[in-house]
Amino acid sequence: MWRKLCCVAAAALIAAGFAASAEAEAFKLKGDPKPAWIYFNVKNDGGWTQAIDEARIRMEKDLGYKIPFVEKVPEVASEITPAAERYIERGHNIIIGSAFGYSDAFKDLAARYPEVAFLNPAGTTNGPNLQSIYGRTYETQYLCGMVAGAISKSGKLGFVAANPFGLVNWTVNAYLIGARKMNPKAELTVIYTGAWNDPVKERAAAQALVEKGVDVIGQHVDTPTPQVVAQEAGIFGTGHHRDMREFAPKATACSSIWVWDQYMLPTLKSIASGSWEPAPYGAFVHVGGGADIACCGDMVPKDVAEKVMAERDAIIKGKHVFEGPIVDQSGKERVAAGATPSDGDLWGMDYLIQGVVGQLN
Amino acid sequence: MTRRSWLRSTRLALEVRQRIPPLHRAAFILGALIVGLAICVAILVGRGVGLASIYEEFIAFTFFKASGVSTVIVQSTPLVLAGLSASLAFRVNYWNIGIEGQLFMGVIGATLVAIFDVGPESIRLVLMLVAAIVLGAAWALPPALLKVRLNVSEVISTLLFSYIAFYFVLNQVYGPWQDPKDKFPHSEQYDAIERLPPIGWEQVHYGIVVALAAVAVVWWLVERSRFGIQSRFVGTSPRMALAIGLPVGAIVASSAVLSGGMAGAAGFVIATATEFRLTPAMAAGYGFSGIVIAFLAGNRPFATLIVACLMGGLYVAGESMKVFYSLPDALVGLIQAIVVLSVTASEFFVRYRLRLAHYRGA
Repeated sequence: MWRKLCCVAAAALIAAGFAASAEAEAFKLKGDPKPAWIYFNVKNDGGWTQAIDEARIRMEKDLGYKIPFVEKVPEVASEITPAAERYIERGHNIIIGSAFGYSDAFKDLAARYPEVAFLNPAGTTNGPNLQSIYGRTYETQYLCGMVAGAISKSGKLGFVAANPFGLVNWTVNAYLIGARKMNPKAELTVIYTGAWNDPVKERAAAQALVEKGVDVIGQHVDTPTPQVVAQEAGIFGTGHHRDMREFAPKATACSSIWVWDQYMLPTLKSIASGSWEPAPYGAFVHVGGGADIACCGDMVPKDVAEKVMAERDAIIKGKHVFEGPIVDQSGKERVAAGATPSDGDLWGMDYLIQGVVGQLN
Repeated sequence: MTRRSWLRSTRLALEVRQRIPPLHRAAFILGALIVGLAICVAILVGRGVGLASIYEEFIAFTFFKASGVSTVIVQSTPLVLAGLSASLAFRVNYWNIGIEGQLFMGVIGATLVAIFDVGPESIRLVLMLVAAIVLGAAWALPPALLKVRLNVSEVISTLLFSYIAFYFVLNQVYGPWQDPKDKFPHSEQYDAIERLPPIGWEQVHYGIVVALAAVAVVWWLVERSRFGIQSRFVGTSPRMALAIGLPVGAIVASSAVLSGGMAGAAGFVIATATEFRLTPAMAAGYGFSGIVIAFLAGNRPFATLIVACLMGGLYVAGESMKVFYSLPDALVGLIQAIVVLSVTASEFFVRYRLRLAHYRGA
C-alpha cells in the first residue's frame, strides 16, 4: 500500500508538471459553449442563490439557449464532483459554481477535465481553465453606507454581519467610510452572527441594534431579516445580495446587489472566442461589472441619490474606497495617508476601523 | 347474507407473528420498496419525466454504469461506517443521536495529526485513523458515563455534545486552524501523503477497505465474541442481564464508546478521501443517515453494508434527478423520504399479521 502511495505521489508530481506546461497555452473550448450551473442553496433563497438564478434567466434570454442548473448541492466534494461530472458526461463544457466551499472540488475537476471551463463565484481557487470570481462588495456597501449616513437622523448606524473574516470585515469598514462621507460624526455598531444563514440570530442582532437606538441597519448576511426588523421598528435599512425592497419596501433605502450577468455574459463570450485568460489570483469585479447597487428607496432625497450615483461613477473610473489614512479600532494606522491597500491586504482584512463599535471575536 | 351484515360481522385483526422466516422478511421489505418506488415514479411522471428516462438515467446509470457505481461506492463508504456506529449503540438500546459530533471529533483528530505532522510520513495515515477513532470514542464517553452512572438520558446528552463539537469546529476554523492561504474558515489542505489513495478504478478510494474491515470486525464482535452475546442479552432484557450478574453498565458504556470510535472512523474517511481538510459542512446528515441505516438493517453488520449501499444509490439517483431535470431539492428529498418510509413501514407487516376475522352473533 505504501509503495502505491509513492506511485500516487509521483503521478501527482507529473500531473503538476503537465498543468504547468498547459498553463502557457490559452484555453480553447471544444464545440459550442454549453454552460451548466451548480447552486449551493435552493434557487429561491431570497438572497445569494436567487441573485444567481435571476442572472441565469436573464442570460438565457440574451444567449438564446437554456442553462440547466442543479440546486442545493452542499459544500462537500463528494456531492459537488458527481454533479459536475454528470453535466460533463452530457457534453456541458462550462461548469459554473456558486460557493467558496466548491473551491477545492473545482480545482480537482479543472485538473481532471482540462477541456472544460470552470467558473466559481465566491471561490478561491484558479487555474488555466478555472476562474474564481468575487465582487468588491466594499464598493457597493460603501455606496449603501453613504445612503445610510445621509438618511440617519441620529448618526447611529447598525450592521448585522455574518462571519468575521476579510470579505465581511471589508463591507463593515466600507459602510462606515461611506456613511462618514455624508455625516462625519456617524458611528457604526456591528454584530456578527457567526453564521451565513441564521434568521433567528439575525433577528436577535437586529433587535439589539434597534434597542441601542440606531436608525439605519445595514447587513451582510444571507437573508432579508435585518431589513424586515428595521421595517417593523419603523426605521430604515440597506440590503445585501438582492434588492431587499421585495421584503421590506418601506424600510429599504438601498441594496448592495449581485448582477452576475454583467460578468458572466462577456466571460462566456470570451471563452467561446478563445480569448479567455483566467486571472491567476481570482477576478475581483468592480461595481458595474457583476456587483452593483439598487438605489434608492423613496425616503432617500434626490440630491443624496445623485451624489451616490456620482460616487459610483468615480469608483468605476478608479477611485479607491480604502484610501489612506485608515486607522483601526486600537488607533493603529493600517493604511498610510495617500496609499491604498493591495488586494491581498483587502482579502485578509482582519481589523475594524476606528468608529466601528463591536468586536471581531 | 347481505353485504351490510357481512361488513358488520367482519373486522381486521392484528396478530403478532411468533416467527418470521428470513425469506418472508426479505419479501416484505422488497414489496415495500416496490410500492415506494411506484409512488416515486408516479410523482416523477406527473412532473413530466418520461418512464424510459427514469430507467435510463436513474436505475441504469446509478447501478450499472461504471461512473455511477463508483459514485455510489464513494457515497456509501462513510455511510457504512455511520450505520455501523449507530447499530453498535442501538444493539444495547443506547440511542446515540450524537454521531455527527463524534464524527467531527474524528476529523479533528485526523486534522490534528495532519497539521502538526505527527509521526513519520510512512504511517501518517494510520496515525490519523487511530487519532480519529480515539477522539470519536472519547467524545462518546462522557454521555455514556452520565447514562450509566447518573441515568442521564443519552438522547439529550449525545445531541448536546454534537453541538459542542460543532462549535469547537467553528472555533478551530475561525481561529487557530483557519487556512493561512485563503483565510477562509476551513483548515489547511492535507498533504498528498495524508490522503487516502485511489484504488485505481474510477473514483473509488481505499476508504472502501476501511469500511469493509470495519464490517468484518463488527461482525466478529457482535456475532462471534463473548461481548457480542452479552450485549445482545443487555439489549433484549437489561433487567434480566443485571439479575444474572452481567456488567450491564460496562457493556452499555463500551458499546457507546465503540459507536463513537466508528463515527470517528467515518470522519477519517470523509476527511482523507473526499474533503482533504476540516470544513464546517462535512458532517451534515451523516448522523441521521446512520440511524436510518442501522434501523433498516436491524443492527446487523452485513445488512448494514447492503442498506448503506442502497442509501448511497438513492442519494446518487436523487442528485442525478436534480442535475438532469433541474428538479427542486424539496421534490428530491420527498422522493428519498418516500422510499425510506415505505421500507421502514414494512417493519410493521414483518411483525404483525393482518387477518380478516369473522364472528357470529349480535
